Amino acid sequence: MKQTLTQSMAWLHTWGGLLFGWLLFAIFLTGSLAVFDQEIDHWMQPEIQQTSVSNAQAVEHAVAYLQRQHADASAWNISLPSERMPALRVTAGDRRSGISTYLDPLTGEPLVVRDTAGGTFFFRFHYSLSMPRNPGIWIVGLAAMAMLVALISGIIIHKKFFKEFFTFRPNKGQRSWLDAHNASAVLLLPFHLMITYTGLLIFALIYMPAALDSLYKGDFAAFYREHIDVMEEPHQAPTHPAPLTALAPLLAQAEARMGPLSGVVIEHPGRSDAHIEMRRVLGNRIALTKGHNMVFDGVTGELLAGPPELRPSVLAQRVMFGLHFAQFGGYPMRWLYFVCGLLSSAMIATGLVLFTVKRRRKYASESPLGQQLYRLVESLNVATIAGLVVACIGLLWLNRLLPVELAQRAGWEVRGFFALWLLSVLHAWLRPRLQAWREQLSLAAVLCLGLPLLSVFSDGQAWGDSMRLWLEVTVVALGLLLAWSVWRLHQPQVQHSERRVRHAQAQVN
Amino acid sequence: MSKAAGTTQAWPICSRVLAGLLGGYVFTYALTAALAQLLPLDRVDALLIASLLSFTVYTLAILWAFAARSAWRAWAVVPAAAPLALIGFWPHLLERLA
Repeated sequence: MKQTLTQSMAWLHTWGGLLFGWLLFAIFLTGSLAVFDQEIDHWMQPEIQQTSVSNAQAVEHAVAYLQRQHADASAWNISLPSERMPALRVTAGDRRSGISTYLDPLTGEPLVVRDTAGGTFFFRFHYSLSMPRNPGIWIVGLAAMAMLVALISGIIIHKKFFKEFFTFRPNKGQRSWLDAHNASAVLLLPFHLMITYTGLLIFALIYMPAALDSLYKGDFAAFYREHIDVMEEPHQAPTHPAPLTALAPLLAQAEARMGPLSGVVIEHPGRSDAHIEMRRVLGNRIALTKGHNMVFDGVTGELLAGPPELRPSVLAQRVMFGLHFAQFGGYPMRWLYFVCGLLSSAMIATGLVLFTVKRRRKYASESPLGQQLYRLVESLNVATIAGLVVACIGLLWLNRLLPVELAQRAGWEVRGFFALWLLSVLHAWLRPRLQAWREQLSLAAVLCLGLPLLSVFSDGQAWGDSMRLWLEVTVVALGLLLAWSVWRLHQPQVQHSERRVRHAQAQVN
Repeated sequence: MSKAAGTTQAWPICSRVLAGLLGGYVFTYALTAALAQLLPLDRVDALLIASLLSFTVYTLAILWAFAARSAWRAWAVVPAAAPLALIGFWPHLLERLA
């Protein structure tokens, strides 16, 4: 491998990009969808209506219900309705493993809500590929490193970096694919770098525990206690039953200090050692403030611990987390992240297509094994790019088509998602390349364009509320984009014949 | 370039991939530990700053493995890791010996 730097970087970019490109496309596309995870959750639970109630009223209903049904639970969790998620959900016991119930925020009556994978599925897939947590995040981390390496090696092999900023030569076959790949890569380079690097940082101490091993002998709990003022657990004094303090004044106090709230956690309700934690919405500031909340005494209502002041290094780390999670800045910022994420996915997709377009002419001269390998690459491209889009929109269809009373319904939605994706791999392998692209993209377009019809037939109404309207309008717009790409696939031949006709006319004249 | 990926080149390429992924990781691990020890800061701050920088180091180490002039030089990161690991885990070593 006696090569120049550019050549060796090009080799690394090409093969590293190809091997991890499929995985990266899936991670970036589901990550873009996860920007709207709660909105998709809401669309997938048509039993929940958009309502406007005050937090105090919602909490009152929630506490009344919990006192009635789960008076002896060790903890109560209340998720408050928000602009993004109009559901009031209560959980008795631990927040992850306890029994959850949805309540009507207006009346406090329990609602029967379908079991669904929800938009949360895209979020989980994005960081763990929906695998068991640890192997999942290691594979995603490896892919993120590959992305970083591909970005830097891509910059190195790019000689005319700023010139290509403005270069786009449409309808020129391979050159157009190259231009599209370069333009989307260069234009959004700061976004690609930021989102990849901050993504790695979220699990930095899992991927690279060197500093933790060196300074704390790998004891994460010791580091955690030191890096942020965590409230000491009080001594286990004998407890006795005691009534819960009024929550409305505490809500007002917490809202004044921290901004909008996302929920309330009550530890040991009905006992003298009760604690009330007021959790803030994550998007009040750029820094991700998960866990940095206010804690009150559950009997006296006295403030026990405020939101902790963060030391500068921790704040810097939290800002980087926040830049990745995109919870700040409201809907304008969310749309910006969504569009940038889709463009990143498109950049990866054009790179994958470019790989095959560049080599297509040489296929014929390859050995039979080489030809089969190229065919495999071509079909994996179809299945990862078009097939994943089919599976994603298919998940929304499954949400309405599977019977509501099906046992383990959320699990079946996820199985359906993977089954669709697997079928698309099979289809891409069996069909000729262009047909495979055309058919899968057409299917995705039809599923997107048909989504409003599906909700008319399944819910009896289209656009249940403004949030569902926005989601369906966005999906239809994406469907139009897919339909346009199908139409483009027919284009080269058309142009050819047009040119020939014009040429013929010129000769006649 | 696809010719370069032919069978005769398979071993040097495997060697570079391993040098980048594993050698690079070992080097990054050692450098991050050393940096955490050397930064004149509280240990919380030193840990966070060293960890934040580690992915830049790893990226450069992987690129080095492919940019190095010979497949042997690609592995230079591993001997370089030894003194860094010594700095990073010096206190642990002293404790062991005491």
